[in-house]
Amino acid sequence: MNEVALVAAQAITALGDSLEATWNGLLAGASAIRPLKRFDTAGYVSAVAACIDVLDDGAPSSRVHPLLDRLLQGFPPVPADAALITASTKWGIDGLERTLRREGRPPSTDMLAAGFPLEVGRRLGLARPGYNVSAACASSTIALGQAAARIAAGDAEVVLVCCLDIVSEFVFSGFSALSGLAAGPCRPFDKGRDGLSLGEGAAALLLMSRQRARRLGMPVLATIPGWGVAGDAHHITAPARDGCGLAQAIRAALLRAKLAPAAICGINAHGTGTVYNDLMELTAFAAVFGDRVLPLHSVKGAIGHTLGAAGGIEAAIAIKSLATGKLPPTTGFATAEDGVAGLVSAQALPFSGDILLATNSGFGGINAALIFERGQDAHAG
Amino acid sequence: MQAEVEVAGLGWASAGGIGRGRRPGGFLREAGPLPAIRRKDVFSTPFPRFGRLDEFSRIGLAAISLALRDADLDNWQEKRPYALIAASVYGCLATDARYFATVLPAGGREASPNLFAYTLPNSFLGEAAIRFGLSGPACVLNDPAGAGLTALVLAMSMVAGGEAGAAVAGVCDVARPVFLGPDGRPDRPGAVFLVLRPAGNRQDFLARLGLDGRGGVLLRGDRVADMESLVAGILHLPGAGPHGQRLTVIS
Repeated sequence: MNEVALVAAQAITALGDSLEATWNGLLAGASAIRPLKRFDTAGYVSAVAACIDVLDDGAPSSRVHPLLDRLLQGFPPVPADAALITASTKWGIDGLERTLRREGRPPSTDMLAAGFPLEVGRRLGLARPGYNVSAACASSTIALGQAAARIAAGDAEVVLVCCLDIVSEFVFSGFSALSGLAAGPCRPFDKGRDGLSLGEGAAALLLMSRQRARRLGMPVLATIPGWGVAGDAHHITAPARDGCGLAQAIRAALLRAKLAPAAICGINAHGTGTVYNDLMELTAFAAVFGDRVLPLHSVKGAIGHTLGAAGGIEAAIAIKSLATGKLPPTTGFATAEDGVAGLVSAQALPFSGDILLATNSGFGGINAALIFERGQDAHAG
Repeated sequence: MQAEVEVAGLGWASAGGIGRGRRPGGFLREAGPLPAIRRKDVFSTPFPRFGRLDEFSRIGLAAISLALRDADLDNWQEKRPYALIAASVYGCLATDARYFATVLPAGGREASPNLFAYTLPNSFLGEAAIRFGLSGPACVLNDPAGAGLTALVLAMSMVAGGEAGAAVAGVCDVARPVFLGPDGRPDRPGAVFLVLRPAGNRQDFLARLGLDGRGGVLLRGDRVADMESLVAGILHLPGAGPHGQRLTVIS
C-alpha cells in the first residue's frame, strides 16, 4: 500500500481569508458568528451565523463562485493528471432560492452539485473528470478517505479534494424548523449548549503518494494512515445515543492505520454544539479510548458549522495543530459537563505526539474518521 | 482484470415498472412518469413511513429493497457492515423545491422539518440503513458524466479491498425538475441497485463483475458503457429497447 501524503492545504472561512488567518483567529479565541444580514431572520429561532460578507457583493449567480475564486487563488499548481473529488451538501442552493423567488434570473445549474467538480476541473485544467460526494456533514471527511484509499491502492498518484458550502436561508430555515439552531453563538461541549450555528467556508487539500511528492519536491505536511466510515442505522436526523457508528468508524480508521487507540494524541471533534451530537461523540470517544484523558476541541464555535466543508476545513486545521503541537481553543466553551473536565478548553491545548484523529457525523446517521500523522516537512512557522 | 465481485441481487424502479433480477418480467428504463409504488409491492413487512417519503427517497428505497430481497438479504437480526453507494445527477433537487415552497410564505415560520430532513440526497440511504440494518459506509456521488457507474466502481473497490463486507450500489434519479428547463437529452428517471459481495465459491450469483484498472466495469470481460447496458447484460436482454431505442442512462 502506498503512503498517502498531504502536500498542500488551503481554507477560507468567516474567520480568515486563508488557512493561516483562520488558524491565527482560532488561536486568539475569536468568533466569526455574528448577526446575519444576508436574509431576514425574524421567523427563525436564531439570528446569527458565520458569513463571509464579501460574498454578498454582487455575486453573479451564486455565492459559491466568488468563494471558489478565493479558495483556488494562490493554491499551488495541481498536476493535470490529478483525480478530483469535491464535497458539498448543497453547492449553489442560493440559485434555487432565486429561481423559486422568481427574481428574474434564468435558472442556473449551480443548484446541481455535479457542477462543483465540473467547475473546479475547468478552472484548473484537469484531465480527469471528478465527482461530488454528498454525505451530509461528513461529506468532505469521506471525500478525503476516498482520496486516500485511491492513492494507497495505487489507483491514483494525485487527488485534489475541494469542499465548500455556503450559508443559505434554505438550510438556516431547516435547522430552525428542527429546533437545531442555538439562540446565540454555539457552545460546543459546554454544559449549557443549545444547538449549532451555521457557517460557510471552503477548503482545498492536495494528496499525493509519497513517491510522487518526492519526485515533485512537494513538502509532506502530514500523512493519512487511516480512515473509516460507518453508519448508525438508527435515525435520519438524530445520532445514535450509544455512538455506535462513530466508534465503528474510529476503530476502522485505527485498524487501517495499524495503530492502537493509545497512539492518538488529540481529537479534532465534530462538536456542533447540539445536546445530542456532542454527547454522542463523548460516548463514542469513551468507548474507544476508555478513561484516557485525551484532549479534544471543536472549531464550530469560531467558524460555525460549515456542513459539507467541515471535514476538509478541520483537516487543514489538524495540519496546523500537528505542526505547532497545539489544539486551538474551543471557542464558546465555558463550563464542562460531567465527564468533559480536562478534555476541552477555551484556551489552546498543548499536546505531545504526532498523531491526531478528526471526526465528523451527519444526517442519515453517517460517521467518518480520519487519522493524520505529522509530516516531516510540517513546521510551526 | 482486477479483483472480481459477484452480483448477488438486482432491483429497479422505473417508468417501465418495478422488478428484480430473479423474477421474470424484464427491465426497462424509459421516459415517462415513475410508477406509484405501493409499500406492499416492495416490502414484506409494514413500513408506515414509506408512503410519506418524497419521491426520490421512495424510488431509491424501493430499488434497494428489491435488490436485497433478490439477494435474500432483506431480513436481518444483527446490523451488517454493508456499504450503500448511490450515483445521482439531480439528487433531491425536486424535494428541495418542495421544501423551499414551505419556507417562502410567512417568513419561514411554516418551514417543514419533515421535508427538510430529505433535502440531503443521502437521506434515502439513511432510511435503507435503518430499515435493513446496514452500518457500512454510505454516500451519494453526484457525477456529471452521468453514466451511473461511478457508484458501482467505488462499491466494487470497497468490497474487493475489504472495506465493506458487501455493498448495495446503484443509481437514483427522478425526472429533471421543470424549473431547470430542458437540456436536450432524454430524461429516463428511475433507480437501479445491485447487491455486491466478494467473489467466492457460491453458485447463486447473477453475474461476476471486474474492474479494468481505468475506472471501467467489466461484465464477462467486456467493458460496459452505462448502468442500463450492465443490467441488460446481467439479465441477458437484447441491447435495444422495445422501440428500437438504445437503453442509456440520463446524463
